[in-house]
Amino acid sequence: MNKKHLEKVILSHPKDNVATARSAISPGTFLAFSKDKKIMAKEGIPFAHKIALRRIPRDGAVIKYGERIGRAIREIKPGELVHIHNVVGERGRSKKK
Amino acid sequence: MEKFLGYKRPDGKVGVRNHVVILPSVACSNEVCNAIARKVKGTISIPHQHGCAQLGFDAEQTARTLIGVGKNPNVAAVLVIGLGCEVVNSSIIASKIAESGKPVRSLVIQEIGGSPKTIREGVRIAKEMVCFVSRLKREKSKPNALILGVECGGSDACSGLSANPALGVTSDLLIKEGGTIILSETTESIGAEHILAKRAINKKVKQKILEIVRRTEMRALNLGLDIGKANPAPGNYEGGITTLEEKSLGCVMKGGTSKVMEVLEYSELPTQKGLVLMDTPGHDAESMTGLIAGGTQIIAFTTGRGNPLGSPIAPVIKIASNSYLYSKMKDNMDINAGEIVTGHETSQGIGEKIFREVFRVANGKLTKSEIWGHREFAINRIGPSF
Repeated sequence: MNKKHLEKVILSHPKDNVATARSAISPGTFLAFSKDKKIMAKEGIPFAHKIALRRIPRDGAVIKYGERIGRAIREIKPGELVHIHNVVGERGRSKKK
Repeated sequence: MEKFLGYKRPDGKVGVRNHVVILPSVACSNEVCNAIARKVKGTISIPHQHGCAQLGFDAEQTARTLIGVGKNPNVAAVLVIGLGCEVVNSSIIASKIAESGKPVRSLVIQEIGGSPKTIREGVRIAKEMVCFVSRLKREKSKPNALILGVECGGSDACSGLSANPALGVTSDLLIKEGGTIILSETTESIGAEHILAKRAINKKVKQKILEIVRRTEMRALNLGLDIGKANPAPGNYEGGITTLEEKSLGCVMKGGTSKVMEVLEYSELPTQKGLVLMDTPGHDAESMTGLIAGGTQIIAFTTGRGNPLGSPIAPVIKIASNSYLYSKMKDNMDINAGEIVTGHETSQGIGEKIFREVFRVANGKLTKSEIWGHREFAINRIGPSF
């Protein structure tokens, strides 16, 4: 990890496929994760919200803190905002619908 | 070793405050208690809605909570006021609190003959109590006498990255000094219970951790409801928290990395030192009431959205998870952990800062919640009123 990308997002665990914005990120901003890996924010990421670092397939696990925090309800592409519009939690949810 | 100056109580426990509490055993006594507390400087009344038309476990839990609040070492003396016909009997509450050896009296409105007479008699007793407790002096005390409750409310997605891991460092430091940490809010362990279970001191504790989490989750599911409609709350979502699991994984970090020594029911007193869990709901005022009934002298409370809550008995230290909140609600915040988010500080650094603040508060420094008079008090109900 270099200092430059630390300015934009927090990666809480090496296994994570999302990172948290240290401040609001504008669309088009590049986040560098290594020499050959750059991710462009495809949309605005509000402060403290999450950005996808890798492609997460539909029904794939969203990982933060190195742990599963929910399931993608549609494919999420790198650089997209990851929040309640594309992720659901799997705990404490009623099956009666 | 960190030391502090505290009030040594007859039962060997140590208080960081020296309250005279006017305690209603039932909602019907609230205004009489309030009137006494208004009249006598140095007293606080703790009005609540309960104490009558309750059955079984629910009545027991309310009684256990009131007794625990009276026994809390921050309380120097207690005047219990009952009505006379309630389920939660005031003289039983008073006699249980008196087991701690502190001065306790009780009055019954129906026996004395109405509000003004009870207020008059209560004012006289409260005045004597204040005369007595105001002469008590703080003495050198060891950190192993401290029980720190760790709480979060109005979390955001920074909470689990800044304020909560920092508070986890504080928890580890206090446990190293022989103290006790109570981690509560079972709803906010759903999805993170495996982390706590892994750290259980033995199989029995492990099973109990899994059981309280399952019990809480099933309570919502049996109603056919999603916990996610209330927890995470709308403000949590706005703050970037996406799921209950994400919130929980951040929440449990407040307890640090120690072994889990035991699991308490709501309002129960710990029998072990070190990290202890208490089964409370995510409702902060109810959770903190359980903590103080369990003997917690100080509460450290992290928040990302901003939360002013306090407690009538324990000073509450507010820790902001981000600098936007800290500058916006500085009047309610004691410590800023937001510098971890910006990369200017570490969880270790802020954790040590919170640790030092805990001892300053133990020595008498007022927290913002105390300065503003925040005394929220709510007893968790586990049954309906009849």
